Amino acid sequence: MKLDETIRILNDAGVEFVIIGGVAMGLQGSAHLTRDIAFCYARTVKNMERLAAALAPYHPALRGAPPGLSFQFDAKAIASGLNFTLSTDLGDLDFLGEVSGLGSFQEVRAASDTKDISGIKCSVLSVEGLIKSKTAAGRPRDLYVLPELRALSELKRKTGLE
Amino acid sequence: MTKVQETIALDLVNNPPRGSEMAKAKEFCVDLTLLLSALRRTPTERARSLSDGARVFETAKKTQLVEK
Repeated sequence: MKLDETIRILNDAGVEFVIIGGVAMGLQGSAHLTRDIAFCYARTVKNMERLAAALAPYHPALRGAPPGLSFQFDAKAIASGLNFTLSTDLGDLDFLGEVSGLGSFQEVRAASDTKDISGIKCSVLSVEGLIKSKTAAGRPRDLYVLPELRALSELKRKTGLE
Repeated sequence: MTKVQETIALDLVNNPPRGSEMAKAKEFCVDLTLLLSALRRTPTERARSLSDGARVFETAKKTQLVEK
């Protein structure tokens, strides 16, 4: 996982995104580890074009797809789909157009905090947003992290820590 | 983290109030001290920890300890 580099690449390309999932948990203070980076992205034509162009040099391919499957991660493909799980030279990257329990990019961004990561101001899904999305997703692996997220929320609230 | 915040946080981690979310998490075997350690770090430092931690998965994948 090349977190710093991936954030810089997307930011430099002007991509509108919110960091979600396990990386958002870690950035908010959870001890959770993850091997992929998940983002919610804005589904405007311009943003989808920027996202496709930003990732093109890093050979995005559908993760787990059979070898030889023809796929090009371009603006047209992004517009035709919604959620993409990709293998890239930057590591495994997930791009979601919507997040369960929250909705589309605008709602996800509204539920995010701004964090300074290596000098870049990034939108990161808040602990409360993570609790909502994990509760709505409802898979065992989502429910498993809820006690930690609720404790983290309480610890932050009672101490004023970020 | 200020000294006051550190004091409050340490007390909450070591003695979470009965019925609190922190107490429930502790019963669920969440190591609350790890939350405190993470909150002492900046987001940039947390990002680096995440990247370092992901290497565990990469190593496991290379040695086929996790499904491909």
